[in-house]
Amino acid sequence: MKDGLKTIYKGPWSYWVGAVILAILNILVLVIRQVPWGITTNIEAWSAWLAKVLGLIQNEDITFEQLMLSSGTYLNLGVILGAFWATLAASQARFRPVKDKKFVLSAIAGGLLMGYGARIAKGCNIGLVLNGIASSSLSGWIFTVAVFIGVWLGSKILLRFLL
Amino acid sequence: MLKKSQWKLNLGFSFFILFLILLLIQVSLQLTLVFAVSLAIGFTLQKSRFCFTSAFRDPLLVGVTNLTQAVILLLVISVPGFAIAAAIADMANYPLSLYVSPFGVHTVIGGILFGIGMVLAGGCSSGVLMRIGEGFAMQMIAFVGLLIGAFLGKYSLPFWQTSFGEVPGIFLPDKIGWLPAVAVQLFILLVLWKVTRWWQKKQNGVG
Repeated sequence: MKDGLKTIYKGPWSYWVGAVILAILNILVLVIRQVPWGITTNIEAWSAWLAKVLGLIQNEDITFEQLMLSSGTYLNLGVILGAFWATLAASQARFRPVKDKKFVLSAIAGGLLMGYGARIAKGCNIGLVLNGIASSSLSGWIFTVAVFIGVWLGSKILLRFLL
Repeated sequence: MLKKSQWKLNLGFSFFILFLILLLIQVSLQLTLVFAVSLAIGFTLQKSRFCFTSAFRDPLLVGVTNLTQAVILLLVISVPGFAIAAAIADMANYPLSLYVSPFGVHTVIGGILFGIGMVLAGGCSSGVLMRIGEGFAMQMIAFVGLLIGAFLGKYSLPFWQTSFGEVPGIFLPDKIGWLPAVAVQLFILLVLWKVTRWWQKKQNGVG
């Protein structure tokens, strides 16, 4: 019993426990937010606002207040803080530096490709793979196959240059 | 791994979260609930080491499909779960929209780029957010890339749409009805689950 309680905050939980809890929470987001959970639409909105603040673009009328009233902002913030809380509960919170300089390059390149890809496809693993398929939408399945092809190509790059 | 207990920091952070929630509740109950659920999502992602990137990548890289099967389980619950939520919302006249997006060449190109990107960045968008919370500098850098990439993607989507066209979203229940749509998708997921089990056995040798 005591060990069971310890596992709750120390972890790790098994994958299938994670899957069941995430499925329930994902449906809760749908019911509360009235649209499914997504990540990159909000990141795109913040990027447009940042670009406007930096003076890169003028024609966007997005405001800081709008972003702070957008549920997407709280979804993304919540995931970051929730994960931080999880490490803190296990007394594992710390800064984890990049192990090798080449990973700085791969992180920035990977982030760029992901951000671009997600926004031209209108979704990421959450918005389009998970919730596109959960919404019984054909685009979810098409995107999933494409992501798999991309991961196959990405793994080849990873094996050749990074590992 | 640190041996030192961080309970003081944890207590302080818990108060900080409570403060944020009390602040947010003044603004909107909906935002507060969304925030609370997403905190639980972040917590669960971290505790169960859930990672969509690994689910796609590990079968190819190391022949392990445990996480892939977990993602399939997540979908197996979500497909009927969303259908039931939509049906109940419909009966109760509660506004609820599912995500049915138009698609085209950009869906495929975008998916391929996204797939390459998440392997290079060591995490997809949810994985990047989770690992920022875990304190990984690599994903903090990836997040900067994500912002720049999303910005570029936003302004090049019209190019893809006008150059290659776009098909209106296809909502499977509209085409074949709710029950067959859910059944067909569950069947595909079951086949995928069988394939992942067979693949893991094949890659790691029987016995």
